[in-house]
Amino acid sequence: MSSPACNVDPKTAELWDKGHYQYDVISTRTLGYFMYLLSDGMLFATLFAAYGVLSYQHSYFGGPTPADFVKPWYTFVQTMALFLSVLAYGFGMNALKHKNKSGVISGLLAAFVLGVLFLMLDIHDMTHLASLGISVATSGGMSAFIVLTQVHATHIFFGLIWILVMMAQVMIKGFTTEVVGRLLTLRMFWHLQAIIWVFVYVFVYLWGYMS
Amino acid sequence: MLVDLAGGWNPMLGRLAWSQIPYDNPILAPLFVAVVIGTIIILGLITYYGKWTYLWKEWLTTVDHKKLGVMYIILGLVMLFRGFIDGLMIRTQQAWAVGTHSSGVFGATHGYLTPFHFGQVYSAHGLIMILLAATPLLVGFMNIIVPIQIGARDMAYPYLNALGLWITAAAGALIMISLFVGDFAHNGWFGYAPIFELQYSPGVGVDYWIWTMELVALGTTLGGINILATIIKMRAPGMSWGRLPIFVWASLSANVIALTSFPALQVALGLVAADRYLGAHFFTAGLGGNLMLYTNLFWIWGHPEVYFVILPAFGMMSEIFPTFSEKPLFGYITMVLASLAIAGVSWLVWLHHFFTMGAGPYVNSAFSVATMLVGIPTGVKVFNWAFTMYRGRLTFNAAMLWAIGALFLLLIGGLTGMMLAVPAINYMVHNSVFVVAHFHSMLLVIVYAIFASVIYWFPKVFGFKLDEFWAKTMFWLFSAGTTLVFVPMYMLGFMGMTRRLDYVFNTAWHPYLLVMEFGIVVYMISVLAFFALLYVSIRDHAKNRVGTDAWGTSRSLEWLTHSPVPFYNFAVLPHISTRDEVAWRRDNGIDHVQPDHYEDIHMPNNTGVAIILGGLTFVLGFALVWRIWWLCILSLLAIMALVIYRSFKGDPGYIITAAELEEMEKDAMRREAQIGKQHYRVGGGVLGDAIAYERSDLPPLASQPGSSVGLDHRS
Amino acid sequence: MSHGHDDPTLHPEVQISTSRGYFLGFAISSILMLVATFLVTSHAVPPFGLLMVISACAGIAIMAQIYFLLHIDISEHNIWNTVALVLFIPLFLITIGLTWWMFSQLYLHTMIMPGMPGMMH
Repeated sequence: MSSPACNVDPKTAELWDKGHYQYDVISTRTLGYFMYLLSDGMLFATLFAAYGVLSYQHSYFGGPTPADFVKPWYTFVQTMALFLSVLAYGFGMNALKHKNKSGVISGLLAAFVLGVLFLMLDIHDMTHLASLGISVATSGGMSAFIVLTQVHATHIFFGLIWILVMMAQVMIKGFTTEVVGRLLTLRMFWHLQAIIWVFVYVFVYLWGYMS
Repeated sequence: MLVDLAGGWNPMLGRLAWSQIPYDNPILAPLFVAVVIGTIIILGLITYYGKWTYLWKEWLTTVDHKKLGVMYIILGLVMLFRGFIDGLMIRTQQAWAVGTHSSGVFGATHGYLTPFHFGQVYSAHGLIMILLAATPLLVGFMNIIVPIQIGARDMAYPYLNALGLWITAAAGALIMISLFVGDFAHNGWFGYAPIFELQYSPGVGVDYWIWTMELVALGTTLGGINILATIIKMRAPGMSWGRLPIFVWASLSANVIALTSFPALQVALGLVAADRYLGAHFFTAGLGGNLMLYTNLFWIWGHPEVYFVILPAFGMMSEIFPTFSEKPLFGYITMVLASLAIAGVSWLVWLHHFFTMGAGPYVNSAFSVATMLVGIPTGVKVFNWAFTMYRGRLTFNAAMLWAIGALFLLLIGGLTGMMLAVPAINYMVHNSVFVVAHFHSMLLVIVYAIFASVIYWFPKVFGFKLDEFWAKTMFWLFSAGTTLVFVPMYMLGFMGMTRRLDYVFNTAWHPYLLVMEFGIVVYMISVLAFFALLYVSIRDHAKNRVGTDAWGTSRSLEWLTHSPVPFYNFAVLPHISTRDEVAWRRDNGIDHVQPDHYEDIHMPNNTGVAIILGGLTFVLGFALVWRIWWLCILSLLAIMALVIYRSFKGDPGYIITAAELEEMEKDAMRREAQIGKQHYRVGGGVLGDAIAYERSDLPPLASQPGSSVGLDHRS
Repeated sequence: MSHGHDDPTLHPEVQISTSRGYFLGFAISSILMLVATFLVTSHAVPPFGLLMVISACAGIAIMAQIYFLLHIDISEHNIWNTVALVLFIPLFLITIGLTWWMFSQLYLHTMIMPGMPGMMH
């Protein structure tokens, strides 16, 4: 016969939903956003693949390599700024659980300040490179290094704008379904930046410093 | 930071200058005039009939997945036509410019296209056909059909859906405007390093190519997320994974590929942009760049993309064969597993596009074996379709003919693909027109499946059937064209003709090229037949109206709701008891049972934000191409401001009350009752092999569903 | 269809947050990064071993963050996030791994890599 579920009796089968069917707006939103973030992760994976191919000795064409200018402890401070920002955001989310509006705002504010610190350290690092005469045009290896790290920094930049928007929305609109959903998606975005930073820090900065 | 351009640049207009407008080109200038006149006529007609409000309210600002899908399909068909005209130009040039004695006009030494112009034509042909014709057409069908097939009222994110469409449309507009402002890339649709570097391609063509692809990639990623989330989260009660219609499974597999692979394209082209705009050395010949890295990154996306477009086509065929064989799909589980397997293996084969890179025997054999593995799930599918038709009651209407055509092409394309998977053969035919013929066979599988689906699902979306005569005429003309163009192309490939020749030195190939030219003319006639098909069908639409179950033998859930589908899809969500729910209800005589009461439903509001964002994206792309920095910054800021505005405003949606709903449902049922032409066949759709065999003593059924065989409604 | 009548802060994805979890995720990954940085700057371990050690640090830090921060587990509310992640991780490895493999083979055969047989004479 036509299908595997022939054991359903057509005379008594339920044909139409009784009107109690609801779907979960928040988790639909977070699932879609998580999938977007994974595709963003694929973007970084492809950049890492490019970096892998362009970090051989000949890729630097005799010019400067990361070993010449990476200062591990400086970048470690950057790492801490980002991790603390993520931690602050986490505490803010904990306040959300208790409907604590000022807790959420201060968590977001701390996350924002620490994120700005991260970004300023990064900009300082880049201006230092520029003062050494190093840019994307120096060699293939340096193109890969700078573009990979700066794509991550760009993500941080847009994340910071988003944090500001969410602070305003929490203040103006309170904890509506949409605002809570956005706080959750921003949480994933911000945490994912920390996860990607672990890779950038270890495999680009530390490994670059080693070789 | 930014590179110094050799040519002119000014802060106000960037690289834009009068000299960039090809007003002296004998092909483009008349075309431009024709486009302007055509646009004025269309806009005039809209104004004359006072349709602007209707257009804006019902289409341009809609978030209804069916209307968005229809617009995706219209966009795809328009671009398909443009890409076809490019193909016609390529074929004509190659049939003309053969041998030293061939004449030349319009400034070309041989033929009518200069090498630079010819390069633009084949690059645009490839890019348009894959990214702006096949992709929007398939995304359009997924958009329309998937939510109805799983029993949802809309996509998971209706607004994002509209955004995806308008960003894709912006990409289409960008590539169209490259015809008249500046030029297009001449480096082939997938590009070669280092020819696309600024040093070797100083014009804006490559920039158009980069930003068009980036925009399509963005739009398709957004669409992919939407379809995946819809399938995972929005299924109607009872619609378990084992009951999903096969097209939904195919869409799921395809969009997993889209979601995972498009970022690689964005990176590949983003790095080309870094080279061209910032002077980076990713793909340069010197200073530590790596030419082949580009090819590698591009095909990391490129090969999965091929399966992204073929899988929905397989899904369409899997819906059409059972309907017109009056049997359930043979091997549902294996079909699902095959789709998922193809999606998985698609990620392990990309090096077969550049076996000749010279990565060595280990790498080449690993990728060769992986490529051959693709043949297994594809073979499973082919056999499943064959067994579906075996001993079925076949109806050879136009949709079925297109689907069977797709099956034959899949065999030819698939088997030549297996040949190309062998590195030893690949080295011989690399970059020959044999490869071109192979992938055109595969992409034509998609085109055939799309035309089959246009015919198959047209009545569901618009409420009336397409004209059978013209649909069949178009099919036979199209198939004749396919044979005449691609059989000689396979032969020329074996003779050693390489692809993309603007001048053919070997006069012995001339007869084949003339046959191909004849074939493309036949294609042109089939395009005219398509226009006739649309004209005749719309003229006679009152005669061809259909009810809920347009074909009388359909199986999946989209045939449970009215034709045309109301904007809310289902007044009451269906409760799913089995796979092939509609066939099961029909066989048990409960397909006319309507819900006994209605409840309020919540629908999203229309929004103009999506189309404005699409327009701003177009401006951003244009500004990037011409390096008008102030406009880039301005449009980017406007995009961000608009996104933030929308996020503050939100969409409360609106409620359709139960009473309104009941009224609309009654209207729909009254209309359906008036059609009175719908006939059901005895036992239609449920016959297994054995039963079909026993019943072969029944009088033969008419081959045209919808024509009367004397059996009345069973309701 | 709407879920709006319920209190959104009671949603399980909000309720899953705990200060302890966030702190643990932070502490574990910070300590691992500290160890990695210290090992790299002190040059105490030979390069290949060092690469293995810092890769392990990164791997554990990532797992801690994924578990404590992104709440990826097999509970009912997170199962689809987990499935998506599990499907993606092989693709990340394929993208980076196969690219690295084919280009190292290419460099080997085109004799670009120093110390390869072709470079000897």
